[in-house]
Amino acid sequence: MNFDLTDEQTMICDSAERLIRELGALERRRERIARGEGFDRDLWSQSAELGWLALCVPEDAGGLGGSITDIALLMIELGRGMASDPLISSAILCSTLLAGSDWEGRADWIEQIMSGNGRLAFANLEPGDRAEWPAPRATTLKAEGNGFVLNGAKLLVQDGEGADGYIVTASIPGEQSQALLFVPADAEGLIQDHYRLIDGSRAADLRFDHAPISGGQVIGRGDGVAALLEDAIARASVATLASAIGSMEACLDICSDYLKTRQQFGQPIGKFQALQHMMTDMLVTTHNARSNLYHLLSRMDGDRDERAAALASARLAIGQAGLSVGRTGVQLHGGYGVTDEYAISHHYRYLMALEKRFGDSQAYGAMLADQLFGPIAA
Amino acid sequence: MDLAFGAEDQQFREEIRQFLTDNLPADIQQRQRDTRTLASNTHDLQRWMQILDARGWSVPHWETAYGGTDWSPLKKFIFEEELHQADAPEFHWQSTHMIGPIIYMFGSDAQKARYLPSIRRGDYLWCQGFSEPGAGSDLVSLKTMAIREGDHFRVNGQKIWTSAAFESEWGFFLVKTDMNVKPQRGISFLLIDMETPGITVRRIGQINGEAELCEVFLDDVMVPAENLVGEAGMGWTYAKALLDHERTVSSFIHFNKRELRRAKEIAQAETAGGRRLIDDPQTRARLVALDAQVTALEWSVLRVLADEPNRYGGTAAASTLKITGSRLQQAITELQADLLGPRALRYYDPVDWNEPASPLWPHHVAGRTSAALISRASTIYGGSEQVQKNILGKIAFGL
Repeated sequence: MNFDLTDEQTMICDSAERLIRELGALERRRERIARGEGFDRDLWSQSAELGWLALCVPEDAGGLGGSITDIALLMIELGRGMASDPLISSAILCSTLLAGSDWEGRADWIEQIMSGNGRLAFANLEPGDRAEWPAPRATTLKAEGNGFVLNGAKLLVQDGEGADGYIVTASIPGEQSQALLFVPADAEGLIQDHYRLIDGSRAADLRFDHAPISGGQVIGRGDGVAALLEDAIARASVATLASAIGSMEACLDICSDYLKTRQQFGQPIGKFQALQHMMTDMLVTTHNARSNLYHLLSRMDGDRDERAAALASARLAIGQAGLSVGRTGVQLHGGYGVTDEYAISHHYRYLMALEKRFGDSQAYGAMLADQLFGPIAA
Repeated sequence: MDLAFGAEDQQFREEIRQFLTDNLPADIQQRQRDTRTLASNTHDLQRWMQILDARGWSVPHWETAYGGTDWSPLKKFIFEEELHQADAPEFHWQSTHMIGPIIYMFGSDAQKARYLPSIRRGDYLWCQGFSEPGAGSDLVSLKTMAIREGDHFRVNGQKIWTSAAFESEWGFFLVKTDMNVKPQRGISFLLIDMETPGITVRRIGQINGEAELCEVFLDDVMVPAENLVGEAGMGWTYAKALLDHERTVSSFIHFNKRELRRAKEIAQAETAGGRRLIDDPQTRARLVALDAQVTALEWSVLRVLADEPNRYGGTAAASTLKITGSRLQQAITELQADLLGPRALRYYDPVDWNEPASPLWPHHVAGRTSAALISRASTIYGGSEQVQKNILGKIAFGL
């Protein structure tokens, strides 16, 4: 066992760090959010140029086939600048779904995603869902004429605004497993509603009202779909958790700098023991959170149940760790912490959003308990 | 000990409830219930203040000579509790609970005559200019100067965290009038018309999208000397007297009770895995833990109101209220957001009241995350939790 980075991993991290330094300024972020843009387009095109979008795509699907650890390390660096969207939704989640399918449009769309010219979003969440683990869907696909019609509603489609198309989950009456469908953004029978999230990213609600779907739009159906969904959600979750680690580590830098510069009672506030202890608690929490991530990474290629347990454990631990670090960071900043004008409040909101993405602590806590102790007796 | 509310108190509670049923306008009540901001809608508040004033109840905590009531502390508590439970607008604290009492305790007769009636009616808002960029927790090191020139003060400096400064007609400011004495002795209390030339207000964008907090820049602002409250150099003493005047306020007990009730309602409405959250063991555990803490807080408030003899002193007891109450505000509003699951992540513009007309977004979602975010301020304002603990250690144990 060793935790050293390979030369290639060091290169990825260095270039990500450079890019965040270049484009990650708070003012740039605030202006972008005020303009109503959910992510940084320059950063997105740079991600394509630097090969990061391809890194997330398996080799046999035409990508660079980075390991999940490579991807996690990249996401930690991007998380420092709160810049992981829409890499997670499009290049990791959707391209994993496409790569694992035998859909005829697969190669084209993977190419579009890797080049940064096209972007897909994953439309799965429905009212009442607290996690995006595979489950029967209220959105239904029914045979009609030569094809199908789709009815139902999806909410909180991450980065859904401005996506070129959606990968939509639906149930088919009479079939146990869900189907995965490709729906272009301008499809007939699709009504979209867009809005901002607390971290400044943008999401969409999709309503399908007798939307006609052709056989050629069915990415997958049948037994393999649940496992494919699990794989994609697991990879996207790793990226989410790694982004949170990056954000938490950025909070350590931001807060320790603040404690050294902010003066009250005639000295830097970092001289006060109460604040020193809060700062070191943040360090302990962040350090342990990275350990949770490494544990999950070690289980990504093994037994599926073990992976699911490790994922739930990491979601629960890192989700709560992020909230704790964010809250403490805000408190250390005093009144400035609750303004939009200091980076710490942006990190807190980013960490809050990550805690609930693809499932919240409540859902993953229940899942972990089921994994460790078996389901609750009836 | 007699640990029950008396028959008279119960009757009083009924009287208040009846008054609210008869007089609290339904539209105001609905807007207050749906509010996504901490401050109430200013227009609603003014309408409500007029209704209360007509009944003589707009400032019940004031001395009777100035329009207050002779209610016992317990009755005032019951009054506030019933107003909160009925979703009446929040009092505009800076006006009714801060500058009002300061003026009748320390102001001149002319100041009392000029300002108190309008505060009782809620005619306009007051803002508070205490903190400065370099004087937050360390308030005594403030730098804003007021130099006497004939019958005016010339004021120069900068204030921060001044709530509602952009919509306030008047402000009350702590300013430095004497550089040659100990900092605490050189501070004075000044009333300033916010329309005076030289005042610039900048709203500060907040973590929840609101911009209620402001910076106030004072650049050669000429303030009539008659706007000095009490004696020069006594500003610090007056500001501290104010804190003693309202010792249970910082518990936010009524807010905490109301929001815990709201959390329970959300848990009844939201589901996880097809089951109501109120039937989910994790959720129940979080709710009951908070319920027990709110019960403790309420009884701690009652003990302070009843002047229970306290080994550590009344100020120490009041300080425990602030620490407990601010933490509970955060825990309860955060629970509300958590109960919404991923839906908590939607940003609602706190100023734009248009709700999405979508069945995917039930009414109870709007505003909850905003409240959780801005509640992070509750352990910061009015003395950060860490400063509170330093003070408590000193007064309770002599540490």
